[in-house]
Amino acid sequence: MIANTKEVKGKDFDVKRSAEEKRELIYKDDICVGCGICENICPVEAIELGSIGAIVRTEADESKICVDEDKCVLCGMCSVGCPVDALDLKIDDVSIKTMDSYPSYISSAEIDNETCIHCKACEIACPREAITIARELPDRSKLVTGEIEVDKDTCVYCGACEEMCPADAIRVDQDIDSRDIEIDEDKCVYCLVCKKVCPVDAIRAACRTCSYGEYDIDPADAEIKGESFIDDELCVRCGWCEEICPVDAATVKKAFKGELNIDQDKCTTCGACIDVCPCDVLSFHQASKPGEIGEKVEKDETFCIYCGACENVCPVEAIDVKRTDIDYTPTKSKSWKNKLESLKT
Amino acid sequence: MPKHIVSGLKYLTAVELRKQGHTQREIADVLDMDRSTVSHYLNGRNLSWNSIEIAETITNLCPKDFLLLTYALVKDEEKTRSIVKTCSKRKYEVHINDTCIGCGLCVDLCMMNAIVLKNLKAHIDSNWCCGCLICEERCPTSSIEILEV
Repeated sequence: MIANTKEVKGKDFDVKRSAEEKRELIYKDDICVGCGICENICPVEAIELGSIGAIVRTEADESKICVDEDKCVLCGMCSVGCPVDALDLKIDDVSIKTMDSYPSYISSAEIDNETCIHCKACEIACPREAITIARELPDRSKLVTGEIEVDKDTCVYCGACEEMCPADAIRVDQDIDSRDIEIDEDKCVYCLVCKKVCPVDAIRAACRTCSYGEYDIDPADAEIKGESFIDDELCVRCGWCEEICPVDAATVKKAFKGELNIDQDKCTTCGACIDVCPCDVLSFHQASKPGEIGEKVEKDETFCIYCGACENVCPVEAIDVKRTDIDYTPTKSKSWKNKLESLKT
Repeated sequence: MPKHIVSGLKYLTAVELRKQGHTQREIADVLDMDRSTVSHYLNGRNLSWNSIEIAETITNLCPKDFLLLTYALVKDEEKTRSIVKTCSKRKYEVHINDTCIGCGLCVDLCMMNAIVLKNLKAHIDSNWCCGCLICEERCPTSSIEILEV
């Protein structure tokens, strides 16, 4: 008889059925945000959402969701419904997210490498640490120009220049038997500190940039090269990168439109929603002056993906997440369309 | 003896296929037998009437029992399909509701390979449906309706 098998690896698991075709549902707990959409969309009630608040806040050794392999029919609705790709159904090793017959959310996050100045603001702002900016800075020696020379007959090898040099360009050997001084011109920035500090005026140096301007510096040499990477698996398309980017190189398209409402009267400031939010949307009020009282929990809806994790975790039902619009690729299946539409609230 | 019952089932299939106009060579290929055995079968030789009677009883069981028993005896999916399709006397009309989620469980369960998924919906080839109702029973959304016509 056809039956499913379940393989658990730590907090992750696979549910499999092999017959005419191989169907495999893969769950990755570190990607799961605990929103519970999978539990809602499952047509056979095979998914149970764990106690997300407790799991997230205590870093418990427990999966955020549980799939009953005896109930699961491996239809893939949870995988299509999951807004962050924590669940993936593969049929004969091909993800249904790449198949045209299955609907999929229309959402994306991209960084245009041509426009990007590799400032790393997005990398720092990303709440999921999904962005890596690999940058290559120009040679410092090509951004300054000058001359420097030491008169070794005059030099007393006191080492003052070495200690003072901000660019770490000078090496002085003070040993009586092997006295020597070396200046690395690739590191030197011609700040002339060594020249000024030398007690015996042994260093002759001049900065050409200061006296003549930047005529012999090629602007191309000053260019910062680099590349940006977004880890599609970790990215939740929250829009922090787009908002923070100073040159508009990042573009984010969200799948859901909606509303996030917090009932400040009901809120008990337990902070569970803040801990669970994958997008750093929610925060406690930071007083800017003494005695200032703000709202209990503040929101910045710009970054909300309307996943509903905060609403699920709130113990006093103070949060209401409404999904008014869901953008997905068309499907000919009425049941799938109905299920996706049912996610609107 | 199971072996004799299998021979009875093969006999019934061979006779039916001959009626449908297939050559002895084709029948031999379908049932994976040599031609001379087919020839003997068609002439009613090398076979006890008792085996044929039991085989006939099996073909008249409810479709699910016919299918499962045949598979248990023959132990070959391809041959089971040929025997059941040829000896099945009933015809079925199949309807799939729009509640079908395209989970493919029926595709995996169907021993007759009569079901395919198209656009996340099951499609059952009524020519191959043997009416065993295994798919209908296990369908998680009760989307399959099979009626005898």
